[in-house]
Amino acid sequence: MEAAKLLSASNLDVYRGNRLVLSNIELSLNEGEVVALVGPNGSGKTTLLESCAGMHRMTSGKVEWRDDNGEVRIVRDFEGRRKRLPPMGLTLQKDGICGDETVEERLSTALSISGCAPSSLDLNQMLSTWGLDHRAVDPTAQLSGGLRRRLAVLCGLSPAVMSSNPRVILLDEPSEGLDESARGLLVNWMRALAAQGNGILIATHDPEMIAASDRIVSILENGALSSETQDCLAFVGELPDSCPAIEPNPLASHLRWAFRMEVRNPIDTISRLLPALISLLLIHTFVDEKEILVSGNDFLSALILAPAFISVLVAPALIKRYAEADCGRWWSALLGPMHRISSSIIGASLILPLPLIYISWLILGDTASAETSQDVLESIWIIGLSLIDVAIAASAVHLLVADLHRSNAAAASLLLLVLVWPFIELTDALTIILNDGMTYGLGMEEPFTMILLASLTSLLIWLVAVFLPDN
Amino acid sequence: MPFGIVVISRKHVGWVFTGLGSLGAIITAVLSYTYAPGVDPDAWKAPEAYRILFWHVPFAWTSFIAFTILFIGSIAWYARRKEWGWRLVATGSDLGLLFGLGVVISGPIWGAAEWGVPWDWGDLRLNTYALLTGVALFIVLSRRSQADGINTRDTLSTVGLFGFALVPITILATTLYRERHPGLIIVKSEDSGLDPEISRVLLIGVLSFSLLMIGLSILTELSYRLQDELTKLQQRLDEVVH
Repeated sequence: MEAAKLLSASNLDVYRGNRLVLSNIELSLNEGEVVALVGPNGSGKTTLLESCAGMHRMTSGKVEWRDDNGEVRIVRDFEGRRKRLPPMGLTLQKDGICGDETVEERLSTALSISGCAPSSLDLNQMLSTWGLDHRAVDPTAQLSGGLRRRLAVLCGLSPAVMSSNPRVILLDEPSEGLDESARGLLVNWMRALAAQGNGILIATHDPEMIAASDRIVSILENGALSSETQDCLAFVGELPDSCPAIEPNPLASHLRWAFRMEVRNPIDTISRLLPALISLLLIHTFVDEKEILVSGNDFLSALILAPAFISVLVAPALIKRYAEADCGRWWSALLGPMHRISSSIIGASLILPLPLIYISWLILGDTASAETSQDVLESIWIIGLSLIDVAIAASAVHLLVADLHRSNAAAASLLLLVLVWPFIELTDALTIILNDGMTYGLGMEEPFTMILLASLTSLLIWLVAVFLPDN
Repeated sequence: MPFGIVVISRKHVGWVFTGLGSLGAIITAVLSYTYAPGVDPDAWKAPEAYRILFWHVPFAWTSFIAFTILFIGSIAWYARRKEWGWRLVATGSDLGLLFGLGVVISGPIWGAAEWGVPWDWGDLRLNTYALLTGVALFIVLSRRSQADGINTRDTLSTVGLFGFALVPITILATTLYRERHPGLIIVKSEDSGLDPEISRVLLIGVLSFSLLMIGLSILTELSYRLQDELTKLQQRLDEVVH
């Protein structure tokens, strides 16, 4: 009986830059099969493997995966449809690991995204087998290149190891940088996983990996594929037992990951807080009370909101984390179409706007009467919440620009101009609060309406930046 | 060779239009001082500054056409990945930047003299053009800094559409703002009507800038077409070398 297909790519055309790298490709991966993708440098092995994970836009064709219910679904096609991959294992050529993650966290994250809930004993056992248990709590930035590669490979294999359902595993040059013992372990685990019904696709130059495959798919110079099966004589190793399955929740995993990274290394908070505080101190130093009294409450409102507004415009540190060793591409593959939505929210300045507005008011609001001051203190939080909406819209615009190959060379700030309007709406709202007090009516002159409009404007900008790009 | 004839004739047409348009723009500037009458000093804060209108309005008109080209090109590339669509994105962004800068530079100069402030956040046209000029500048800079390819083109055409999708947001924001800050000078100037001599000079200006716009569009599009040809030849050469 023919083995069931886990993955198939049909009629695939993929460009990299101006070059058509894959043309009219047909490829499938069956249960219990190890397929080696081979070909000279630049032939498109990595592009094909990553296209199978839905990571590349295609100009023709589609990629389909079978899920745990046995249903075949399109994960990406040339018409722009994209769906999240079923639980799977993925090792990219560049590890896809952020240096702030600890070894144990990384493995645990890779497993939880795939719907596995391993005990700490399971984690320790796997880390120990791969010679990583002594570095379990170390940040991955402190690992040598070889150990990092071991971890990346382990994270690619472990979702299949811990699952009782057949999984697809995609490994790009997995043996690159591994020593002899780790390569042996990799081959043993690959064969054992295939024996359990998992399908493994590897892009490789390594003869040892090729010998451990059931089928060799060669990418020829003209871009066509040739396929030949072989008898694999590699030893089948022992695998740890599978663990209880949970409903995969990649968004929750992503949120937890981002929170941990920021707590461990708060570069986002610092890079936003510093310009905001400097602007606040400069305002406090150079603008005296008389000027504020003469210029009126609209001037005071703008001064109070400016530091918080500056903080929300700063590019999210998440973009830098994503750029590290292709970490963002790993998340993008696993989150699928939710990647940009999730990233724009967790990458935004969610914590700072509120405290910054209150600090600004306490420093600059000396000129207001006690009654006004009380009213402002009780109602300014709504403006802070609306600024969080502005922050999410700004983050989405930064992520849109980050799609460019050399995003560091692009002037994202030009696209942030539009956020001036929500800022002006909020400034007007605060001016009215200062003049007449806070009201919650829905008339055009009411501060509450203006705050709602600022949030609505930000929401529209966010929707455009998140849903227009074909990511 | 038919291909050569087409290229040469289009180039000449482009140069003729550009030359005529430039000459017309200079004539408009001269006429704005020698032929166009002054305006009522009681109705205007800076009556002499109004003469900037003779370039400001044609700049706005031509930048509108350029942004429309950018929009059409963005849709054509985004939806169908048409090569001509990408050339329109390139042409529209180049010319949108050029003429858009004309609007957002001449507008504040006039505004500073007439309103006393260089920028009015309630002015719909100024803000819309500033936003679209920002988008055009972004696309022009990114086209220079990024390697050309489908992914880059996809992202930049998305940015082109992003710019246009922001226009209704800009309209919403500035209209609401204007409702609370009525009495903008630009509205008054429209209400006051135009002298026939002023209209005549303005018409010459609009026609001249339109010719200039057409000429530059032809030349820019042609240069990108030739650039495409060159890229293809270079790629063929790369294949031979390898």
